[in-house]
Amino acid sequence: MPKKIVGVEKFLLTLSIAGSLLVFFLLSPVIALFISIDPDTLSQTLYRDPVLANEFRRALLVTLEASVLSTSILLVLGIPLAYILARKRFWGREFIESLIDVPLMIPHAVAGVMVLVAYGRRGLLGPITSWLGLAVDDSFWGIVATMAFVSAPIMIDTLKMGFRNIDPMLEYIGRSLGASPYKVFQTITLPLALRSILSGAILSWARALSEVGAILIVAYYPKSINVLVIEWFSTYGIRYAVSISLVLALLSLAVFTLLRLVVEK
Amino acid sequence: MIVVEDLLVKLGGFKLEIPRLAIERGEYMVVMGPSGVGKTVFLETLLGIHRPLRGRIIVDGRDVTYEPPEKRGFTIIPQDYGLFPHMSVYDNIAYGLRVRGYGREEIDRRVRWIAGILEIKHLLDRKPRSLSGGEKQRVALARALVIDPEILLLDEPLSNLDPRLRLSARELLKQLHRRLGFTAIHVTHDLSEAIDLGNRIAYIHNGRLYGVYARNEFLETIYSKPYIEYVRPLIEILLREKRSSVPPSP
Repeated sequence: MPKKIVGVEKFLLTLSIAGSLLVFFLLSPVIALFISIDPDTLSQTLYRDPVLANEFRRALLVTLEASVLSTSILLVLGIPLAYILARKRFWGREFIESLIDVPLMIPHAVAGVMVLVAYGRRGLLGPITSWLGLAVDDSFWGIVATMAFVSAPIMIDTLKMGFRNIDPMLEYIGRSLGASPYKVFQTITLPLALRSILSGAILSWARALSEVGAILIVAYYPKSINVLVIEWFSTYGIRYAVSISLVLALLSLAVFTLLRLVVEK
Repeated sequence: MIVVEDLLVKLGGFKLEIPRLAIERGEYMVVMGPSGVGKTVFLETLLGIHRPLRGRIIVDGRDVTYEPPEKRGFTIIPQDYGLFPHMSVYDNIAYGLRVRGYGREEIDRRVRWIAGILEIKHLLDRKPRSLSGGEKQRVALARALVIDPEILLLDEPLSNLDPRLRLSARELLKQLHRRLGFTAIHVTHDLSEAIDLGNRIAYIHNGRLYGVYARNEFLETIYSKPYIEYVRPLIEILLREKRSSVPPSP
């Protein structure tokens, strides 16, 4: 018996060493970012230089607004789509599922080009988006559309898995007790999928927040924070890019930790 | 009265045929057969999960074959009891009453009434994950019975209980049926359970209803049938017991 325990401990120790290597690899850039901070440049970008501070604040706001909006749109439209894909078998379902995953497989710049040729002023649906005031070229809606396009697969796939994990019999029981399909969806399906809905929202929001390649092509203006990092890096050097990056990293870490705590509960 | 006529259901390569099955109001019908012969598919078809290729399901003269589950009058208790894990026991039991628009006081009165009958009043604030198998079964029964269902479908409701609890659960089902007078269609592969509970027993084998037998004649009638192989030793024991319990004629 004691030999067995030692064997298990050795096994776990081996796994822990391998896992620690990955944690070290992921943690190093975060630590390096903190160490690389120049307090003088940081204070300059945050408040001392009004031009830089203003540009930084505006870009941060644009990014937060666009990412929250794209995640909200994906939630509203993604929940029905994911439910249908999870529950129903129909002709062409596999094609639709592959189509949703396209943004995961293509380079980010290509995603940007695709959004532009579809929803840009001269794009396929340009007349409609322009008429609605939603044309994507260099506009806030361009950032929202690009973020939604690249983060949709993560949202849909997470929601789909969540819905698939709910026993359909629970829904039939609800209906056999007299509830309509809408009532069952509202009182049984959605509450049971809540954890997946929150996970999907967190992950797709993170994906939206981290997008830069596609946004550079679709909407350089209004400047989002990721575009600003690139611009400051090439114009003023790495010290300035590090300042923005630190704020962004801290913000992401705080929000993610908070949301994960909520989801774990 | 529930009448199932000329029913044919196809699921992939599996086929279920019910030429005719009529169940009287207040009857406790047991549908018996080995595992994998289509008993659960039959219940799921009655509930409205599977669309039959042909045939009719008639409840009190009303054709419900293509009605949605909420308009059929069938309520199911599945093998794992299917309690809503995010709701308390109280909310599970109250669910059917709430969606039917009952007032708060009436809901409370009915929930406490059925909880009293099933002796689960002390569990009302608990979540299903903290309940034992026997407790879950009682809650599932309460949730189904509180709405006074037209027909209660029970899918192997005793199979997840240990043997001791299974016997007391049988007694509970018999007692509830006597007291509340509901109509039940109870699916099982357990011969002694079928004989103990069923007013009549419908025998399904290889996706086909072979016959419907009164409880008293079931053992003798099916003993000679070739499709009963899987329970023949048990039938022999039960028949011996039955014969030895009959007093010799003077």
